[in-house]
Amino acid sequence: MLLDYSRLGWLRYALTGVAALVCAYLLAPIAVIVALSFGSSQWLKFPPPGWTLKWYRALLADPDWLTAFLTSLEIAVIVAVLSTGIGLMASFGLTRGSFRGREALRALFLTPMVLPVVIFAVALYGVFLRLHLNGTLVGFVLAHLVVALPFAIIAIGNALERFDVAIEDAAVLCGASRTQARLRVTLPAIRLGLFAAALFSFLASWDEVVVAIFMASPDLQTLPVKIFTSLRQDLSPVIAAVSSCLVVLTALLMGAAALLRRGRPT
Amino acid sequence: MRPGAAARRNAREFVGVAPALALVALVFVLPVAALLLRSVLEPQPGLQNYAEIFASATYLRVFENTFLVAALVTLVTLSLGFPVAWLMTIASPTWSGLLFAIVVLSMWTNLLTRTYAWMVLLQNTGVINRALLGLGLISQPLPLINNLTGVVIGMTYILLPFMILPLHAAMRDLDPAILRAAALCGATRGQAFRLIFLPLLASGIAAGALMVFVMALGYYITPALLGGAANMMLAELIAQLIQSLLNWGLGAAAAFALLVVTLALYAVQFRAFGFGAMREGR
Amino acid sequence: MNRIAFVAGLAAMALALGSAGASRAADMVFTSWGGTTQDAQRESWAKPFTAATGINVKQDGPTDYGKLKAMVDSGNVAWDVVDVEGDFAAAAAKAGLLEPLDFSGLAKGDLDPRFVSANSVGSFYYSFVIGYNKETLGAKAPKSWADLFDEKAFPGKRTFYKWAAPGVMEIALLADGVAPDKLYPLDLERAFKKLDTIKKDIVWWGSGAQSQQLLASGETPIGMFWNGRVVALQQQGAPVEIEWTQNLTAADVLVVPKGAPHKAEAMKFLAVATGPKGQADLAAATGYAPINLKSKALMDAKIAPTLPDAHTQTQINLDMAYWADHRDEIGKRWYDWQAK
Repeated sequence: MLLDYSRLGWLRYALTGVAALVCAYLLAPIAVIVALSFGSSQWLKFPPPGWTLKWYRALLADPDWLTAFLTSLEIAVIVAVLSTGIGLMASFGLTRGSFRGREALRALFLTPMVLPVVIFAVALYGVFLRLHLNGTLVGFVLAHLVVALPFAIIAIGNALERFDVAIEDAAVLCGASRTQARLRVTLPAIRLGLFAAALFSFLASWDEVVVAIFMASPDLQTLPVKIFTSLRQDLSPVIAAVSSCLVVLTALLMGAAALLRRGRPT
Repeated sequence: MRPGAAARRNAREFVGVAPALALVALVFVLPVAALLLRSVLEPQPGLQNYAEIFASATYLRVFENTFLVAALVTLVTLSLGFPVAWLMTIASPTWSGLLFAIVVLSMWTNLLTRTYAWMVLLQNTGVINRALLGLGLISQPLPLINNLTGVVIGMTYILLPFMILPLHAAMRDLDPAILRAAALCGATRGQAFRLIFLPLLASGIAAGALMVFVMALGYYITPALLGGAANMMLAELIAQLIQSLLNWGLGAAAAFALLVVTLALYAVQFRAFGFGAMREGR
Repeated sequence: MNRIAFVAGLAAMALALGSAGASRAADMVFTSWGGTTQDAQRESWAKPFTAATGINVKQDGPTDYGKLKAMVDSGNVAWDVVDVEGDFAAAAAKAGLLEPLDFSGLAKGDLDPRFVSANSVGSFYYSFVIGYNKETLGAKAPKSWADLFDEKAFPGKRTFYKWAAPGVMEIALLADGVAPDKLYPLDLERAFKKLDTIKKDIVWWGSGAQSQQLLASGETPIGMFWNGRVVALQQQGAPVEIEWTQNLTAADVLVVPKGAPHKAEAMKFLAVATGPKGQADLAAATGYAPINLKSKALMDAKIAPTLPDAHTQTQINLDMAYWADHRDEIGKRWYDWQAK
């Protein structure tokens, strides 16, 4: 009965109350950012003394922002896809196999998340310099892949743990190959885990700034580096305008996804 | 299973792990090991860097502070995230979709921008204080920033989705029939919660808590902007050593110490709760 | 699922192979901190340099000391001229990370000797000044660094520079009554004791923009700031003022990392950057002061009062050489004290 919304009684109000507070908490900074992007003061004064569109105009006038955005997007998408794929394969091995050292291996895969990222950045940078990989897309993707992989492994591993392997075995017994069984039976069952893996991997790369500073070159700048540099030097609401655009873009994408889902039968 | 099939299965599963292993070994372990080696080689060969760290009250305090903040943030995100994940699982598709959208949306703005927004909200002259003062609820601004409160508020904000989504995934996998059966057998809500709901969610909670805790250990930009000097986190200190003081030996030593302690905690957690516990339990 | 990953992988490789050949090194690389300052450096120095010599200057950034050391250590230096903080340059020179400069092409005599060394030459200089928000403070105005430590006259929060760098220690000592010529060697104990009296009210700023935000919003109505930042606020109409008494000079400097691939071009670039016109243009654009003594003649009379050169009566020069020698030790004590 704990999972039946209608049978919760007073718990229903408690849950809704907490959830409403948390939503306000999650949305407050976004509201502030959007408001500041229209504010006329250069200094983050809230409420703004006046309203203006000049930050958006400045944003559109500077092609570097769009380039940085596209670069970040390109890298993050590639990283998300590769991380989910590699993480998926590794998670199958970690949850299904029982070879020796399995737990040590799992701990090893989590290590990039534990070690302070600046250490990884400096270490990798030195190696990449000798291989002439810094400032290249491949180098960037490899570096971010290491950062993102632990998220994929945790999210997918978590989902695979809960999935009853007997169902997959049953499919094999019915004649499917192991791979087919995994593709058609297991993967759909853990799709929330896959989504979380892809999302976290994407964001791990999208928001990452320390490694990005080391991997960047004049031709390869990502958005977080540009924002970091900008905030440190100038603190202009143009950054708020950048973020607001991203929020609107995401909201539109999610709205579109929701509409698509409604159109299809479950 | 036929004899030999188990070994073949193991070999096949290991092959799946191979790409990840190759990536981590070549791109992570080798370069990082080379740098961590400097902790015993620079400036002179020996363990002086480690001696310096463990003898220094400052480093120990920073270590302590880092783990305390991470633990505190993990607890707060769990307390806030659990109800939200729960509601997301059982509410109607529209509301649940909306909650989901809000959670995901909050992750989308850049980390730095979100942190600056919190500065605007939490400062003495910021939105929250001005609103409370204006409403007459307080007579002096509340110290919400440049202290532990600010750090916890900021980091919880960033890490909450990493707790909510795994919890929600775990809850969604639960069969409501189990709980209904418990009700039929006469269990109260409290008993069902304690004895059935929570234990079944253990792996989801562990996954979320692990991610949040470990991420909280490594964050330093948000604590640096929202905390006071006394709240310095280890990652910031290491960054200073590496990038400003150029003392790579000491920085590597501190990082290695952090790594060892964290992996030790992970081993303890694993032994206590175990990722495999779920399977055994069935 | 796997098919998508495969295609994505192919696409990634294709992109990589395509882009690998595209970005060949420019004729030289100039690295600075980004933002409007680097934009100004590009306009005032790089563009005229390219026009005069035909050598292309690629802009990179932000300056990162870890990156610099990693480059020099590995022998694969990607930067030719780097804008760094003055005290770092002195420490880096000691650590053998910098090339000695070739002054044959530079008019060394024209340069302010405070900001020239064997391995570095000034990029621009500035002063730490007392800044205050007159709207928040009302009638009272701070007149010296001691006022920043006066909680009775100026209650509330104040802001100081966060990093273990020249500035804060000297200010604390001056406020405690140490004479300017007796500042060095720094009595760290005394400085920390003085800072302890106001420690709970200090908000630490880590970047120029953050300091401006704190001052303009009134969150910290008094504090120590870079002069250019407060001037910029004034130009935008914020109700802030500068008190120049006991201002402390410091500088950003230009260095050439050891093993830089385009040393000859780098030296020619330095000649333009430190020339009278280059310095005058940068000063006009940024509010920082020129390090070339001949630049003042080329500058707009209206800008002069905003520069540290006009406020030398009680000016004190921060001792970069001292800091280079003691950077590590002071850094350690600094973090110890901050964490308490």
